[in-house]
Amino acid sequence: MRLLAIVSLAIACGLFFILPTPAHAFGDSGAFDPRVLLTGNQTGPARESAPERWSWELVRRTSAPARLRPSVIHADDPAIVEAPFVYWSGDAETAPLSGAEIAGLRHFFSLGGVMLVDDAAVDERGDASAFGRSARREIARVLPDSTPIALSVEHVIFRTFYFLRRAEGRVQGPPSFDAIVRGGQAQVLFSEHDIGGALARTRSGTWARPVVPGGETQREHAIRLAVNIAMYVLCSNYKDDQVHAPFLMRRRALSAQ
Amino acid sequence: MMDRATHLATSGDLPIGVSVCACLVAAASFAMLLVEMRKRKRGGPLIAGTGLVAVAALLAAVLRPVRVTARESVVGARVVVLADSSRSMQLVGDKGQTRCAAREEAIAKLRTSRQIARLVIFGFGEGAPKPLPNLDSPGQASCDEPRSDLGAAVRALVASPEERPVAVVVISDGRLDDPPEDASDANLRALGGALRVPISAIATTRVVPADASVRRVSTAGAAVAHVPLPLRVEVGCAGSLVCDELAVTARELRDDGPPALLASGIAHVKDGKAALDLTVVLDRAGARIVEVAIAPQRGDSIPENDRRLLTLNVARDRVRLLHVAGRPTNDVRALRRWIKNDASVDLVAFFILRTPDDDVRASPNELALIPFPVDELFQEHLPSFDAVVLQDFDAQPYGLEKYLENIRGYVRHGGGLVMVGGDNAFVAGGYAGTPLADVLPVELDRSRGATGADTSSFVPRWTTEGLTAPLLAPLRNLVGDELPQMPGTNVLGDIRRGSIALWSHPTLTTKSGAKMPVLAIGDQGNGRSIALGVDGAWELEFSQLGARTGGRGHGALWDGLLGWLMRDPRFEPAQLEVVGGCTAGVPSTVRAHLQPGASVDSQTVTLEVNRIDKSQAPTVVTRPRPADSLSVDFLLPQLAAGGYVARLRTGDSIGTRFDFSCEAGGDEWADSRPDPARLEALAKETGGAFAFASDAGLLPLPKPTVLSAERHVSPVAPPWLWTTAAAIFLGAHWVIRRRGGLS
Repeated sequence: MRLLAIVSLAIACGLFFILPTPAHAFGDSGAFDPRVLLTGNQTGPARESAPERWSWELVRRTSAPARLRPSVIHADDPAIVEAPFVYWSGDAETAPLSGAEIAGLRHFFSLGGVMLVDDAAVDERGDASAFGRSARREIARVLPDSTPIALSVEHVIFRTFYFLRRAEGRVQGPPSFDAIVRGGQAQVLFSEHDIGGALARTRSGTWARPVVPGGETQREHAIRLAVNIAMYVLCSNYKDDQVHAPFLMRRRALSAQ
Repeated sequence: MMDRATHLATSGDLPIGVSVCACLVAAASFAMLLVEMRKRKRGGPLIAGTGLVAVAALLAAVLRPVRVTARESVVGARVVVLADSSRSMQLVGDKGQTRCAAREEAIAKLRTSRQIARLVIFGFGEGAPKPLPNLDSPGQASCDEPRSDLGAAVRALVASPEERPVAVVVISDGRLDDPPEDASDANLRALGGALRVPISAIATTRVVPADASVRRVSTAGAAVAHVPLPLRVEVGCAGSLVCDELAVTARELRDDGPPALLASGIAHVKDGKAALDLTVVLDRAGARIVEVAIAPQRGDSIPENDRRLLTLNVARDRVRLLHVAGRPTNDVRALRRWIKNDASVDLVAFFILRTPDDDVRASPNELALIPFPVDELFQEHLPSFDAVVLQDFDAQPYGLEKYLENIRGYVRHGGGLVMVGGDNAFVAGGYAGTPLADVLPVELDRSRGATGADTSSFVPRWTTEGLTAPLLAPLRNLVGDELPQMPGTNVLGDIRRGSIALWSHPTLTTKSGAKMPVLAIGDQGNGRSIALGVDGAWELEFSQLGARTGGRGHGALWDGLLGWLMRDPRFEPAQLEVVGGCTAGVPSTVRAHLQPGASVDSQTVTLEVNRIDKSQAPTVVTRPRPADSLSVDFLLPQLAAGGYVARLRTGDSIGTRFDFSCEAGGDEWADSRPDPARLEALAKETGGAFAFASDAGLLPLPKPTVLSAERHVSPVAPPWLWTTAAAIFLGAHWVIRRRGGLS
């Protein structure tokens, strides 16, 4: 038995040197990065561990690479244009954006960037908090020619990876998102579900907050929604392609039964 | 030639009207005298005689005749002879001689005609007529124009500043492009009306040769890849050849195999002609050569026109692209967004969103995932795509390995392939040593332990070829020499023959010591491929550089890459054309219009022409690159009828492909029947005369003009003498008429 183990180890070592080495060449540069957006005097996201967990769940569940240590970016930092996604969450009213912050965000959106605005202080009925209201106000200043519209639950974001019947986070909230759609793409998603609250973990590894009213099932749905949002950022409307349509219609019919 | 001549005229100080009036008055006076003579009693003849002399003397006194002596010459009218120089005149005519020879005989007869005329002889074909040399022997005549456009020739005469002709004589077989066979009498009249002179015609040929032919092939609209294209094929049997049915086939001539049958049918011939509608579908865009042929007929005296070769420029309705990505990343996102924003691209995309190792924590029915249809895509539908993009995709786990040979064949037969870098591309994706590696523009290290990637960040460098490549010009116009920093690169090998590197790594080298390519392109058989060894092209959109350029750099890069892959003329190093078309057996000229800046360091330009069926050795012509021009002409030797593929190379750059066909006779031989009736109608409608070539010398030509020189005028007699004579004869007549009983 020991001999077999030694031989196996030798073969494994041999294969290691013989076979082409895998190309971990590109680091996580092109990976999904749930970048935390800071504005005004914000020092961190409302749910500190949520972005990390978001990446972890994405890597665990899908083929998409993600940054397990997500970056943090300030709205007036020139580097805001260096990746296509930002995650803006808060639990208190946000200060009015400065001119530099507005310019930075406009630049980001002009390149096709996507933002998730996650209201961490939303109440259990899904009514927006001061953060949610002030974030909408500030985004309106950034994109004055665009108005949020309600996304249907038929929107591709609800089937980019998982079939989802509605949006859910720490709270159940409204069934869908409001979004600012520009050039056919939902560029700003307004979540009144506290998705980060459902993802956040404590240092001891337990869930940081309870999920209401659906409990762990709802938390799983919230995680799936986060995965779908990441896939929407990376694949845009891929699942709207005609080639997927007949298969997905059959699958959706089955899952509805 | 001038002759001295003398004749009488009236005095020069009298207007012509006065002279005429005087004559009329004199005639009237004499007539009145004759009437008056009915009252005479005697001496009738004497009265009349003296009256006539008296009137004549009086008229002479008024007109005072003068003697005119001059040197006179006869100048023939300017007659323009338009002799048909089209290739249809090479066909056999009467008595076994060519129509061209009959034309020369007719010209010779006109020249030796007794009629005096200044003949100016032009050959007409395509465009304005050209002076026809006076040949010693009819056999030397050349009839090689690709068209017989009499209308253009007449219009050129109208516009000419030279002396307007008094008449035009057309010598032809009557098989004209303009006026066409079905031209109305009014149209024919208008042709003469443009010059306002009669057009006479001489027909060279009476005899209709025994010939079955494809007379005309027309397409309804433009040819589009994968879209049925209707072809209308008109065929005919003429002369002593009688046929009831003709089998017609349409085939695509291909350089990657035997001709492919596109359609066939039977044409039922009635009154010597028939039309057949065929529908063909061409799968590949670009120049495609289609042969439309009839089955050979026994007794056919002109077998060359049994087939026509069409060069169809097949357009793409939309570029059909297969995009396969191994995992969703920012680079995949950027490429997909660019493709989806281009309405001219029909995208079929498959992204691997889940691997077997992923823990989705859901039942299959909860997943919006579909199986990757690898068999369907790479076995059945592969030929329907114009290009395939494999982005960071590992062939092994998804069963693509068994189809890599299909992809190689697909590329060599004209498809496009792009491999985009990433953790699962090139060597790291297990492609080294596979059939697919044969059609990449770079070598892949297939040795054991080969390094798949280099993890150090770097900024790609432009190669010399990259700096001048038209496909990267849009990107360079945006970013200049600047490129974003890449997080790492796949390790690529040396550039393969027929390929070039556009970007290279600043420090890494290949086994041969050359700079390691990062972006390379190359011709692979009839197809093309691109290797992009990084997955950071998205940073042309999202980066500080991307922000400065509005994120347009990424689109500019892919616009150039995909455009080059699809042979977009904007990104080809040169455009080629056959000047005046190619005729079998006649030397032809291929003209290359080089892109400014394309391989400017190259001193020579080489054109290689291969017969499409590869049945002959290639013709290679190398020309020095002109310093002051972007056009280069390549004189090709006589080519046989068939399809050809020309490839132009400037230095080490990627070649430009150009397909063309050479026909024996072409349009001019398609309908070999002479048409003297059309010439006769033309002559009739324009007031000219008609004759066959054998009677050309009898064709009436306009009368010549007489010119006088050294003119001397002298009076026949002094005026007083005329007056005196008139007085004497009038007096004598008065006396005689009084005696005859007249008052």
